[in-house]
Amino acid sequence: MRYESDKQPGPYGPPGDAPRLIGQGSIWIMAAAPTIWAVHFVASYVLAAVWCAKIGASLVTPAWIIAAMGLVCAALIVWLGVIAVRRYGGVFVIFEEITESSERGRDRFIGHVSLLLCILSVVAIGFTVIPGLILGSC
Amino acid sequence: MRRIFLLGLPLVLGACEGRHNWLASGGAEAIRVEQLFWVLVVGAAVIWTLVIGAAVYAHRRQVDPSLEKQARQFIIWGGAVIPTVVVCALLVWGLVILRDITTKEGDLTVRVDGERWWWRVIYESPEGDVVTANEIRLPVDNTALFKLTADDVIHSFWVPALGGKMDMIPGRETELTLTPVETGSWGGLCAEFCGGAHALMRFDAIVMEEAAFNDWLAHEASPAEVAQDDAGLGVFLDEGCGACHTIRGTEAVGPVGPDLTHLASRERLGAGIYDMTPDNMAAWITDTHEMKPDIDMPPYPNLDGARLDQLVAFLMSLD
Ligand code: HEC
Ligand SMILES: [Cu+2]
Repeated sequence: MRYESDKQPGPYGPPGDAPRLIGQGSIWIMAAAPTIWAVHFVASYVLAAVWCAKIGASLVTPAWIIAAMGLVCAALIVWLGVIAVRRYGGVFVIFEEITESSERGRDRFIGHVSLLLCILSVVAIGFTVIPGLILGSC
Repeated sequence: MRRIFLLGLPLVLGACEGRHNWLASGGAEAIRVEQLFWVLVVGAAVIWTLVIGAAVYAHRRQVDPSLEKQARQFIIWGGAVIPTVVVCALLVWGLVILRDITTKEGDLTVRVDGERWWWRVIYESPEGDVVTANEIRLPVDNTALFKLTADDVIHSFWVPALGGKMDMIPGRETELTLTPVETGSWGGLCAEFCGGAHALMRFDAIVMEEAAFNDWLAHEASPAEVAQDDAGLGVFLDEGCGACHTIRGTEAVGPVGPDLTHLASRERLGAGIYDMTPDNMAAWITDTHEMKPDIDMPPYPNLDGARLDQLVAFLMSLD
């Protein structure tokens, strides 16, 4: 079914513009934060495994590298969170259900979901970083 | 309901006493884990009560739209923020315990090698390694550093009453410390399925006063006191037992099975599963796979009469 509002231009630019990967109704922002977490997680795992197998029994250096990578990733995710709020109009808590079928409604929904996923991903990155910092040995 | 409760009670209580009780506070490491456990249990009970209480309360109350905002705040704090903080705190606490029980220095070092389905035990001492098997003795109030490895499959080393459990992995060395705080005898076991006789892969962990421990270790380091013309030793060597077993002070130097130099000084036979009695010893030799299925020692059903008696008497003299 098609709604009138579907044909309305979104508030972020006229349709027909080259779409940005993140912004203007694109859904990639939802996948971005968890993907950053996953990449950080795999990188941490590989780094620790290679380090322990090839270099030594102390995990202190890789733990700091993992923490630094975590910080960079968290910063990226914060930036995504800002976009989710600014470009998509995402909010942390929705007070009314988003039921309206319009670009704006979809954007607000995507923004909301993305924001929550950003928060979750930052916490998850913390959970990856903490064990390395505490344990310190292979 | 009542009946189910009563039926369940012995199970619950049964787990709370005895040689494998992990709430026995037998070791400093176990006490750390216990504290975490009780905080978790009590904390979970409190949270459960609060959540169910809130649900019942919410169910009974009239809906009041003017409170919507507070209700949402309540959900955000109670459902998202506080749980995240609690889980983080528990994660950190658990990790700190894990660090403390795996990377401490030891007053003594014990290497344990998991074999199918028994334990090769080596005490490192200034005079050299002391090799024994299937029984671990520890001095009270000392921290023993265990260096664990495995022969061919993964095992896991666990004395529940004393402390944490650690996997034994072929080709790798894992570490664990145990600091027993009272004397006594505890049960240890393999906690990672490792094949046919896995459930029968056990050992005794005997905690002694330090002086008694030192005497024991010195004795364990000495060769067996046997006459070279002992009839039982003759049977042992004739039957080829020495190809697999070592008895220091004799020709038997086999590395395949447990060291038998001070076999009879162990409290149990067959990796912690039978009392050390002549009858069990005889049965172990003639009906090996009835005593412990699947093991890598062949049975000797044709040994009987005087020869079996001599062999058993000889083995029981190895204290
Ligand atoms: C093929 C090698 C092999 C031969 C030969 C062999 N054993 Fe064993 N034996 C083992 C292994 C392996 C174990 C450990 C079994 C287990 O508990 O999983 C064992 C265990 C034992 C134990 C129990 C040790 C303990 O710590 O409780 C005794 C006693 C024993 N053997 C005596 C003998 C005698 C006596 C003979 C000769 C009649 C003999 N064995 C021949 C391999 C062998
Ligand atoms: Cu095992």
